[in-house]
Amino acid sequence: MEALKVEGLCKNFGGVSAVSNVSLSITVGERLAIIGPNGAGKTTLFNLVNGQLSATAGRIYFFGEDVTDLPTYRRAHLGQARAFQIISLLQRMTVLNNALVTLHGTRPSRFEMFRHVREFRNVFDLAAETLKALDLWERRDEPVEHLGYGEQRRLEIGLGLAMKPKLLLLDEPSAGLTKEEGADIINIIKKLGQEITVLVVDHDMGMVFELAERIIVLHYGQIIADGTPEEIQADQRVREIYMGIEE
Amino acid sequence: MEAAEQQTERCRWKAGAPYLVGALILIIPPFFLSSYGQGIMTRFLILALFAMSYNIVFGYAGLLSLGHAAFFGAGGYMVAILKLHYGVNLFWIAAPLGILVATLTAALFGLVALRAVGIYFLLVTFALGQMMYALAWNVKWLSSAGMNGITGINLPDLAIPGFMLNTTSLYYMVFIFFAISFLLLYRLVYSPYGLAVQGIREDETRMQAVGYNTWLYKYITFVITGAFAGMAGVLFSYYNFFVSPKHLGVVTSFLPMVMCIMGGLGTFVGPIIGAAVFIFVEHFSSVYFPERWPLVLGGVFVLTIIFAREGIGVYLWRLWRKLNYQYGSVKG
Repeated sequence: MEALKVEGLCKNFGGVSAVSNVSLSITVGERLAIIGPNGAGKTTLFNLVNGQLSATAGRIYFFGEDVTDLPTYRRAHLGQARAFQIISLLQRMTVLNNALVTLHGTRPSRFEMFRHVREFRNVFDLAAETLKALDLWERRDEPVEHLGYGEQRRLEIGLGLAMKPKLLLLDEPSAGLTKEEGADIINIIKKLGQEITVLVVDHDMGMVFELAERIIVLHYGQIIADGTPEEIQADQRVREIYMGIEE
Repeated sequence: MEAAEQQTERCRWKAGAPYLVGALILIIPPFFLSSYGQGIMTRFLILALFAMSYNIVFGYAGLLSLGHAAFFGAGGYMVAILKLHYGVNLFWIAAPLGILVATLTAALFGLVALRAVGIYFLLVTFALGQMMYALAWNVKWLSSAGMNGITGINLPDLAIPGFMLNTTSLYYMVFIFFAISFLLLYRLVYSPYGLAVQGIREDETRMQAVGYNTWLYKYITFVITGAFAGMAGVLFSYYNFFVSPKHLGVVTSFLPMVMCIMGGLGTFVGPIIGAAVFIFVEHFSSVYFPERWPLVLGGVFVLTIIFAREGIGVYLWRLWRKLNYQYGSVKG
C-alpha cells in the first residue's frame, strides 16, 4: 500500500516555479530520502505534503485519501508528524508542557477547558514515558530554551514519534548537530518499526545513505533521479549536478 | 514516598497561601471601609476583571488587540439601554443580555480581525472599536436626552424580597463575579486548551503541525474574553451610573493593556496587581494633583518598564519565593 502518493505537484511563487510536476509514491514502511542542492525545492515539497503551503496544481494522497485541500492540523490527525528544519519547539514553555501540548493535539482532549492539563493520566503517562526515554525527564520543568541544540532536536523528533504517526517527515534532522548527536538521531530512526514510513530531507550524505532505502534527487523543482542509494551514486547526471560539487 | 507526598502537599499549601491572603484582603477589610472606599474597591475589582480578560487575549494568546473596550462598553451600554428605553432594571435580565451582546460583538469582530495578524490585527481591532465609539456618539437612541452617553442607571434590582443593594452589597456582588471569573479563567489557563493557546502564541506553525486548528483557538479565545469584558462592563455601569462613548473607545482599551504590562503580562495574577497599582495611582494623584493624574500614571508606567520590566506582579512573586527560600522550611 502507498503511504503517500503525489501526482503532478506544482508550486509557483510568483513567476518562480519551486516544485514543478513532481510525482512520487512511498510505500508503507519505506525510508525515502529526498536530496538536492540548495533551492532544489525540497523544503517546499515538504511544506506541500504537510499542508503549510497549498499546491498550485497536482494532488496529494495520504493512505489513499486525497489530502490536497486539507489544512495542516487535519493531516496531523490523519497521522503525519513533522520535525522542522529550524527547531520549532515552544521555546519559553517547559519541556513537560511541550510534551503535553504535542500529545493532546491529536486527541479530543485538546478542547478541554476546565480540567488541569496534568489530570489527563494517559497523556501525562505517555509524556513521562517519552521524556524518560529521551533522558529529559529530570529537566521537565525547565524551559526548552535551556536545552542544548542536540537535545532540542532529539526532543522534537521524540515528540513527533510519540504522536504515533504513520508518516514521519524529517526536514534536515542532522543540521547543526555534532557527529555524535547526528548518530543518535540515526539510531532513533533506525529502531523505528515498519508501521512508520519515513520521509527525510538532508544535506548530510552520510546520513542519507545510511538511512534511506530509496533516494529521490530533486533539481530545480524536478525529479531527476529515483533509485536505491547504489543506483543514485552511480547515476552520471546526479554526479554531475550534485555529487560533483561534493567531491 | 509518603514523605515526598507530604512535601508536595505542603508545597501546594504554600503555593495557595498568597491566593488565600489575597482573598481575605478582598473579603474582610472592605466591610469596614467608608462607602467612598468601598466604591474604590468596587472599581478596582471591575477593572481587574476587565484586565484579566484582556490578559488572556494579549498575554496568553499573544493577540495585541486595541478594541477590547468595545466588548466592555457593549455590556455597559446594554444595561443602560434596557433601563433608558425599556425601564428594565432587573439584574437577572440585564446582566445576561449585556454579556450576550458583548459576546456577539466579539464573535463578529473576531471573524473580521482574525483574518489579519500582528500589527494589522491591532489596526483592525482599533478600527472596529472606534466604529463602536462613533456609533455611540452619533446615534441618538444611544444617548439620554441632550447628552453623549446614558445617565440614570441605578443599582440593579436583584428580585430578592426585602433586600436592596447598597454600596457595601454591590461590592460583595462584584467580588462574587470577580471570584467566579478568576476561578474559571484560572482553570482555563491550565487546561489543555489554555496550554494550546500559549503554544500558538509561541509558534503557530508548530501547533498546526501537531494537530491544532489554530484559527479556531484564537477565535474562541477572542469570544470568551469578550464575554468576560462584557461582564466587567455590565458591573461597571451599575457602579458608575453612567456610560459614555469613551467606554467603547481606544482610551478605555488601553487601560487593561497598561494594567497587564504593569502587573506582569501573561502571568495569571499580574493584571490584578496592575489594576491595583492603577487604582492606587489614580486615587492618590487625583487627590494631590487633580487634572495631572494621567501624567503620574505615565510616570509610574515608565518606571515599571525600566525597573520591573516583567511586571510588578512578577517582581513581587520573586520576592515571595526568595523569602520562602530564606525563611521557609520547604525548599523549592
